[in-house]
Amino acid sequence: MSTPRNLWVNRLRTDFRAALGLLAVLACVPFFVSSPYSLGIVIVSMYFAMLAMGWNLLAGFTGQFSLAPAAFAMLGAYTTGLLDYHWQAPLAIGLPAAVLGTALVGWALGRLILRLRGPYLALTTLSFAEIARVVISNSHEFTRGDQGLNVPTLMQSRVGYYYLFLAVLALMLVGLYLLMRSKVGRFWLAIRDDSIGAETRGIDVVRYKTLAFGLSCAICGFAGALYGTFSQLVSPELGLLLQTGLVISMVVIGGIGTLTGPILGALLVYLSSEWLREIGGIQLIVFSALVIIFARFFRTGLWGLMTHWRPRPKSAADAAKESA
Amino acid sequence: MSLLMTKNLSKHFGGVSAVDDVSFAVEEGQILGLIGPNGSGKTTVLNMLSGFLQPDAGEVVFAEENVTRLTTVELARRGLLRMFQMTRVFERISTLDNMLVAGMAMGLTEKETGERAQVLIEELAMTHVQYLDAGQLSGGQRKLLEFGMCFIKPPRIALLDEPFAAVHPVMREAMANFIRRRHAMGQTFLLVSHDMPIVVELCQRSVCMNAGKVIAVGPTRSVLESTPVIEAYLGSSSHV
Amino acid sequence: MLALDLLVNGLIIGLFYALMAVGLAMIFGVLKVVNFAHGEFYMVGAYAYVLISLKLGVSPWIALPAAAAAGAAIGWLVERTLMRPLYSGYASWSIMKDEYAVVVTFGLSLLLINLVDKIVGPYPIRGPELIETTRFSIGPIMLNGQKLIAAGISLALLTGLALFIKRSLWGRQIQAVAQNRLGASLAGIDATRTTSMIFAIAGLLAALSGALLAPVINPSPDVGAFPAIKSYVIVVLGGMGSIWGAMIAALLLGVFEAFFAVYVSYAYRDAFGLMLLILVLIFRPQGLFGEKGREV
Repeated sequence: MSTPRNLWVNRLRTDFRAALGLLAVLACVPFFVSSPYSLGIVIVSMYFAMLAMGWNLLAGFTGQFSLAPAAFAMLGAYTTGLLDYHWQAPLAIGLPAAVLGTALVGWALGRLILRLRGPYLALTTLSFAEIARVVISNSHEFTRGDQGLNVPTLMQSRVGYYYLFLAVLALMLVGLYLLMRSKVGRFWLAIRDDSIGAETRGIDVVRYKTLAFGLSCAICGFAGALYGTFSQLVSPELGLLLQTGLVISMVVIGGIGTLTGPILGALLVYLSSEWLREIGGIQLIVFSALVIIFARFFRTGLWGLMTHWRPRPKSAADAAKESA
Repeated sequence: MSLLMTKNLSKHFGGVSAVDDVSFAVEEGQILGLIGPNGSGKTTVLNMLSGFLQPDAGEVVFAEENVTRLTTVELARRGLLRMFQMTRVFERISTLDNMLVAGMAMGLTEKETGERAQVLIEELAMTHVQYLDAGQLSGGQRKLLEFGMCFIKPPRIALLDEPFAAVHPVMREAMANFIRRRHAMGQTFLLVSHDMPIVVELCQRSVCMNAGKVIAVGPTRSVLESTPVIEAYLGSSSHV
Repeated sequence: MLALDLLVNGLIIGLFYALMAVGLAMIFGVLKVVNFAHGEFYMVGAYAYVLISLKLGVSPWIALPAAAAAGAAIGWLVERTLMRPLYSGYASWSIMKDEYAVVVTFGLSLLLINLVDKIVGPYPIRGPELIETTRFSIGPIMLNGQKLIAAGISLALLTGLALFIKRSLWGRQIQAVAQNRLGASLAGIDATRTTSMIFAIAGLLAALSGALLAPVINPSPDVGAFPAIKSYVIVVLGGMGSIWGAMIAALLLGVFEAFFAVYVSYAYRDAFGLMLLILVLIFRPQGLFGEKGREV
């Protein structure tokens, strides 16, 4: 479209408002739903929403399709869990440590694989994720392997946890909005669209790519650690490739490269998966089919469809006619 | 002291000497043409000047500083910008956003960038497509956009790699005018081009390369009329 | 002697790895994408073999080519429906073709695993062996009859494939398209049909690999994940897109893993290969025999 609506700041603002709206709806849910089981389901979907936002930062905004988001959630969760298990560290130390630890590892990983793109990046991050999971699964003395670790909880109240997750999600959203609105976000978009072109224009691609990696992994790591305190158990299953597959599906279906898309996708996919599970366990079939269909035909996802951004671009002549 | 100088620049690929002992200088405020038949090494030289390739020997001196080992980003910060033969724009954001990114990358504030971008967009006659995603622009418009991005903060020197290749004549005129206007304001250019009429028109001096070596330097007309250059382009049996 | 036993068994495993990896290398060679659903071609082959021989009461020697055909069919279908956008000017993902391939093949992998899980069931299934004898020994080496036959068939297939690519007309078309798509089509080669053929062959080989190993491994729906990861390591090691590289790297990996599992650590033998993949991609991205160019 050739209207000011297509300008980045305007696109982003609409996006942000819609996402806030979604969170506002979520804030009202406990007034109508009181069953702890149902609230728990929404809490888990918020966990996935955080992972989705973290992955979208790296893949949707910066163009780095990593296959390691679930692995970093697992690493964050284990940082907190291990600090508690071995040294009885309180959560006030364990949680920030998870953020810092995953931020550093993410930053380092990004630095190491700077020049890789597409399938090479995917393969490297996939290998990293699997190595991490295998190591944690097999280090029985240190991590208790597949049995997992018990993690202390922040509070007993489920409603309390609900609003905690919501608050964290909201903070992440606001933080990302401010970042994407600033020059950092624009540089990420430029790197996504053409990293060589970005370099030529004077953007420090090394610095901004590694920043995106570090931040994305920190988001996933913190989400994992937080979830650990909620479920009070962390296990290597958090880092299964299947979990990454779910996160990617959520973002692609919701709308990649947007603020609302990951949240929308996570909520829809996870909530309806609970519903579909009752029907007959076909939820994964449905979602993987949806991912393929959306990737093939509706790249901009649900959010893109809702805002009428067409996947097929118009020609400049049409646009000139439109704005004349 | 010249603005940009290369001294004995060399680059080998495998056993082939793509660039062999190339030396020339670009003076401030000049448009220097870099011409030569296909495969003569012009783009390789450009790549070495803009930090995309490391020379095997020789050095590059820019504003009296040895910049041979600097990266593309460091060179851009110092005011050495280049444009590519295959246009590079950021396809999934609007034309105006492309300009804003370019300005911010050069250290301008958002407000300043916005103002300059508006002026440039008008100059390039792209006001009617400024909100269109850059990926939807026509080829010529993308070239103009790349010009805009390069000049939102005028660089100390602009390296242009075959900017007129496969461009519509009308667009070509617009681009040539843009170059002329900037040149009149003191902008320095190094122009790599095949388009002889434009080279004659825009470049007072030229360097001609063939098979990796410099074979002629001087005022463009005399370079084009010199024997080695004619032989290089047309083969040695062609000179009368 | 343990070492000789490890060597032979490692080579045998390597042959199976090679069947899968070669198809992946071909796909990468022609489309420059990694097929993340490759493990599921293997799984489909394994299930086709077991189900056809059990449900239709057919001899395993007939079920085997049937499974191969199923693999070819699915490979061809995937190319036809999902891979066309990668080269027929589909504008939407234009600058992110590689990422499209990652997402779509990842989704396909999930879809196939869960479809089989739902339709057949999540529990491992047992398939009939090709011959009756199981364990016997040649000198100091312990061998498994099924594995030996399977290895023999694999070897024959790989040799056949190598000859096919080098000598036959279609094989040379494949080489041409892999090197230069545009040039090949200008020279009159139907690049689209060649790509379909490559996917069909890749699917066939992977499916056959799954079918041959089905009696040994007792497949379940996610049985393809493990060989798939091995294939990625092999293709990277051998050089993305190089068929010879894949074959040699497969044999090397089979042998190395066998020794690593016994002399260093059994639990981490998979992680070893993955570590190798990361190191290769960072320090020598063209692998042993491939061409440079890991950046778009």
